[in-house]
Amino acid sequence: MLPVDATAKPPRGSAWSLLGSELKVLFGRRRTWALLLALAAIPVLIAVAVRLSSTVPAGRGPAFLDRISQNGLFVAFTAMLVSVPLFLPLTVGVVAGDTIAGEASHGTLRYLLVAPAGRIRLLLVKYAGALAFCVVAPLAVALAGGAIGAALFPVGPVTLLSGDVIQPPEAALRILLIAAYLAVSLAGLSAIGLFLSTLTVVPVGAMAATVVVSVVSQILGQLPQLEWLHPWLFSHYWLGFGDILRQPVLWDSFASNAVLQAGYVAVFGALAYGRFATKDILS
Amino acid sequence: MWTRWLPSVAVPVVIAAGVLVGTLPAGAADPLPARTPAQVIELMGTRTAVSFTGTLEQATDFGLPDLPAAGPSSGPAAAGDGPAGSVASIAGLLAADHTARVYADGPAKLRVQVADGSFAERNMVRRGTDVWFYASKDNSAAHLVLQAPDRGSGDPSTATPADIAGRFLAAADPDTEISVGAEVEVAGRAAYNLLLEPRTADTLVGRIAIAVDGETGLPLSVQVTARGAATPAFRSGFTALALGAPDDSLFTFVPPAGSSVREIVPPAPGLSHDVGDSETPPSGPRPAVTGSGWTSVLAVPAPAAGGTGAGANALLADPLLSQAAVDVPGGKLLSTPLFTVLVMADGRLLAGLVPGERLQAAAAAAQ
Repeated sequence: MLPVDATAKPPRGSAWSLLGSELKVLFGRRRTWALLLALAAIPVLIAVAVRLSSTVPAGRGPAFLDRISQNGLFVAFTAMLVSVPLFLPLTVGVVAGDTIAGEASHGTLRYLLVAPAGRIRLLLVKYAGALAFCVVAPLAVALAGGAIGAALFPVGPVTLLSGDVIQPPEAALRILLIAAYLAVSLAGLSAIGLFLSTLTVVPVGAMAATVVVSVVSQILGQLPQLEWLHPWLFSHYWLGFGDILRQPVLWDSFASNAVLQAGYVAVFGALAYGRFATKDILS
Repeated sequence: MWTRWLPSVAVPVVIAAGVLVGTLPAGAADPLPARTPAQVIELMGTRTAVSFTGTLEQATDFGLPDLPAAGPSSGPAAAGDGPAGSVASIAGLLAADHTARVYADGPAKLRVQVADGSFAERNMVRRGTDVWFYASKDNSAAHLVLQAPDRGSGDPSTATPADIAGRFLAAADPDTEISVGAEVEVAGRAAYNLLLEPRTADTLVGRIAIAVDGETGLPLSVQVTARGAATPAFRSGFTALALGAPDDSLFTFVPPAGSSVREIVPPAPGLSHDVGDSETPPSGPRPAVTGSGWTSVLAVPAPAAGGTGAGANALLADPLLSQAAVDVPGGKLLSTPLFTVLVMADGRLLAGLVPGERLQAAAAAAQ
């Protein structure tokens, strides 16, 4: 673990400078880069595996896998699809679970809270840092997928689910849209992680709990007997980004997902505030 | 300090209140002028070529077994997969719910997009006489050229929509009571609710409700309710509808590179059996209909040995359906709230909108 002296004496000027230093610390960490590299390795593994194997029969494996050998851009689609259930929640859980508990475990939380009324601001800044990671993580998968796909396979017009064909520049735009969709999808989980992080001074506990919550939510989403519950699960729309690959783009799931995630952010943000504002900071 | 927890209580309360308000029915707009059933049917007939973009949802509650939701794979595990027209795909269509986006621009331009889960879609694109089908699951396309509408060329002058409505009512009246129910709202539009109720108690169908848009005459939804049931067993209707011509490029389809393209030869029109001999199964026995109206029973005889009709056996070979079917004397009976299917051990297949006993009686009578 790197020494986190940078957070120990942050510039106290404004929330923006606090945010700037938070982002600098987050993306200056070797751990963050290791997480992003692990995510970028997913499309690389997929592309190399497809490249080395014979043709993939249609209809086997994850969606789009059989299209990769004809068009490298499908590496990005497949990799994002594969990383949604576990890898993205895992990395987001690590970052979000570390937000408050990490500072507490280092004994630096006290110093961050010297300023009066600093707790809300600290909570907001920490959440903003986690959100920044939510934006960067799917982008890492998408960019690595596009790059390795273009390197190993021909790149050409992409056939959408509706049978319409779009040119590579528009396909790149759709890939970025999917990355944005995934960033929104992970906002709710980040808020849950932030709340769990205020409950403990052991960051690993909060990280593990966040990942477990995401897995439980997805398992509940698979049970047809709990159909009434499904629209309320934060993972309900995680795999809905296929709607961006239709022509015309179906925005319904994007909007529903944003509303749902906003609800989770509000609920768990309020809980995190309630917990963090009433907590005795001992370390 | 306890006030710090107030937001944690207030936020869920606000969300719950918002959800409750969202489910309340919106305030009724201006009521539609009252119309008789004949006038509503006439309205359907007079509708000018409607251009719209809509979302259509179909939901069925036939009591057939549910399968756990399939994961993101495009593999053959998902319900309703399999080549088009296979037994598995039919069972999937029956048991599964569907959402489709519909684009229409006048009578000759239509596009229907049926979502097959999150990462697959089936498309039907029509422009004039050109009809394309596309399935993203196996990247296959099919093309069909529609025949010129020969029967419509009869004399359009003699059959006004009012005439057609009158004739339809006269034909339906002995079996069916047709009325207009209370105005309903479908996809945010005020609609007449045309109710069709069988006059006989021997059918499983209790009521068919067709919502007809008060402004355009477009049918907005169809609900079929089983006799004695409170909620419809089959619902199909628009959940969103916007009038106006969609983007014209939506009705242009070019099969994507790498897709398999198949040309569909349209079946020869009714009378010319001598021409299309090789296409249709010629030697097989023909289905017969006994009874009339709502209590009709369709009987498909046993296929000739080595014939094409593997239907009955294939139906029972499907694990999904054989699990739902129950053994009855002489065969297996598949019961749903709206229809029943009886597969006899000797290969005959009977189906109808009637209780299972009537199918068994029909099977016994035909022997």
